[in-house]
Amino acid sequence: MRKMDPAKAEAYFKYRTTMIVIYLTVGFLASYLVVFFARGLSSITVMGIPFHYYMGSQGAVVTFIILLFINAIISDKIDKKFGFDPKFVDSTNQTVD
Amino acid sequence: MDGQFTVSLILIVATFSLYIGIAIFNRARATSDFYVAGRGVPPVFNGMAIGADWMSAASFIGMAGTVMALGYDGLAYIMGWTGGYLLLTFLLAPQLRKYGRYTVPEFIGDRYRSNTARLIAAIATIIISFTYSVGQLSGSGVVIGRLLEVNTATGTMIGVVLIAFYSAMGGMKGITWTQVAQYLVLIIAYLIPVIFMSLQLTQNPAPWLSYGQIIQELQVLDQQLGITEYVVPFTEATKWQFLALMFTLMAGTAGLPHVIVRFYTVATMKAARWSGAWALLFIGLLYLSAPAYAAFSRFILMTEVAGSSLTSLPAWTQAWIDTGELSLADSNGDGVLQWTEIMISNDIVVMATPEIANLGVFIIGLMAAGAMAAALSTAGGLMIAISAALSHDIYFRSINPNASEKKRLAVGRWSIVLATVFAGLIALNPPGAITQIVAWAFALASGSFFPALFLGVWWKRANGPGVIAGMLVGLTVTLSYIFAAKYGGFTILGIIDTGAGVFGATAAILTNIIVSLSTAPPTQEAQDEVTDLRYPEQVQYKNGEVWLKEE
Repeated sequence: MRKMDPAKAEAYFKYRTTMIVIYLTVGFLASYLVVFFARGLSSITVMGIPFHYYMGSQGAVVTFIILLFINAIISDKIDKKFGFDPKFVDSTNQTVD
Repeated sequence: MDGQFTVSLILIVATFSLYIGIAIFNRARATSDFYVAGRGVPPVFNGMAIGADWMSAASFIGMAGTVMALGYDGLAYIMGWTGGYLLLTFLLAPQLRKYGRYTVPEFIGDRYRSNTARLIAAIATIIISFTYSVGQLSGSGVVIGRLLEVNTATGTMIGVVLIAFYSAMGGMKGITWTQVAQYLVLIIAYLIPVIFMSLQLTQNPAPWLSYGQIIQELQVLDQQLGITEYVVPFTEATKWQFLALMFTLMAGTAGLPHVIVRFYTVATMKAARWSGAWALLFIGLLYLSAPAYAAFSRFILMTEVAGSSLTSLPAWTQAWIDTGELSLADSNGDGVLQWTEIMISNDIVVMATPEIANLGVFIIGLMAAGAMAAALSTAGGLMIAISAALSHDIYFRSINPNASEKKRLAVGRWSIVLATVFAGLIALNPPGAITQIVAWAFALASGSFFPALFLGVWWKRANGPGVIAGMLVGLTVTLSYIFAAKYGGFTILGIIDTGAGVFGATAAILTNIIVSLSTAPPTQEAQDEVTDLRYPEQVQYKNGEVWLKEE
């Protein structure tokens, strides 16, 4: 065990939290906001389908999947950048039994 | 016994033997195997297992039917159920994994340092999982009923026996690998018919690209018939109901104990993040296909079944009329079946469509096997959650802390059998359509667990009295709203019973914050534990300092 620079630890947390806020905002826009303005958006069409219906049936789901993979990839990169070995498995932190 | 029956039965027996074989091969040998599969499941496979655990009879059998019946308004289920994975993977799963417990009530009890909170959480787990499993059993009733050409109630009873036997055997370790197999069976069974239908109707094998064309034709047909248009939003309920339902399903997904526990089966926070991503990709395959399914089924029913004379109806109709889920009444007595005279239950659309589209006995049998895989895998996961709450959180951690592993496994297995039988009795006469019953389970989860876990992970000031008050108020508000809306006709902004979670969650979060702030803060040790969840496994936060562990 060695002590870590508190500023670095804080920066790690800030960075991760900021990314999460961004992902959730994008997810929110693709679902709630589109639903809220569904009527107005129905005049636009994607693949022949009115935009609000397209987002509900496919667009939002695809957005969510992409966000989750971006998160997994970027989080691994952040971990590496901060020197946390992604392969590390903690054996002391197993559950109480 | 006709050919269809034989083919379906062979496929179901074959897939069942596969699951049971896998379960026996991976039999639980230790408690940690039973609850968390020894914590060594790779993320891609865990993603499939989460997919199977998650995609229930409601997703497989009910969702396309719901979209078909509700048009645009049914899409709240698609967005809500998938969007929940954002909340789960971004806000809860990695942190809960780092905290490292067996069950969700255990996390709540230990994080909030409160046995009362753990007990309430265990009871909430049982209520939620139980409600959910009523939906599963009534789903398996529909499938078995159709297969054996008996009514749905008899089918449900057969389902109870199968599910009780099957889930009591394996425990989490057996279930993980069985669920991987079940995912593959259910997704193949779901995709093949929709791909064939796409080929039949549009000459394009990719339903996700081709169904836009069918949607356009549906819009024209709707206008000719002068009925409510399929793609027009908020025809069945208000915009607020749509938003409330979507929120309820998202927050509920993030708070469902049997899904969260799947994130305990991986080794690290990193693996938890990847599990979430893979899970939604695998789930997306089905969810992206459901709207295509709905559009194709509606199109075939409107163009090929509606308008034919009552005496020359296709043979498949009779079998479904026998199960009591379909009625074709010539109410205007002209001898021709109109679109408005077809009353088709949401729950049979997926199962009936291969027959409607004339896809042949093999695919219909495959569908039955897939639907059973969906119902079984989810019921299995739910039963593990109920059994863990009873045997681990209530029996072991509250009643008899000296119980031997063997005793605890026995209590776990018996609680599965009893819970399944009891849920089956209610499912004999289900209080709603499958998707609706399942939505109630989500409303309860979003009113109790989502706030408790969210604040527990992100707000170190949240304390025991806060979470106890929060869960109780959240559950009470959600339950009252469901009852008031379903039986009392009470609604706010047109939000009906399925959207109740939005009120439950708000009330629970506010209560937790207000009570926590007006009582003593948690101990420094408890607060440090929460700060510790900000960092990966090898980092430890203690007494205001951050430590890096080395391998």
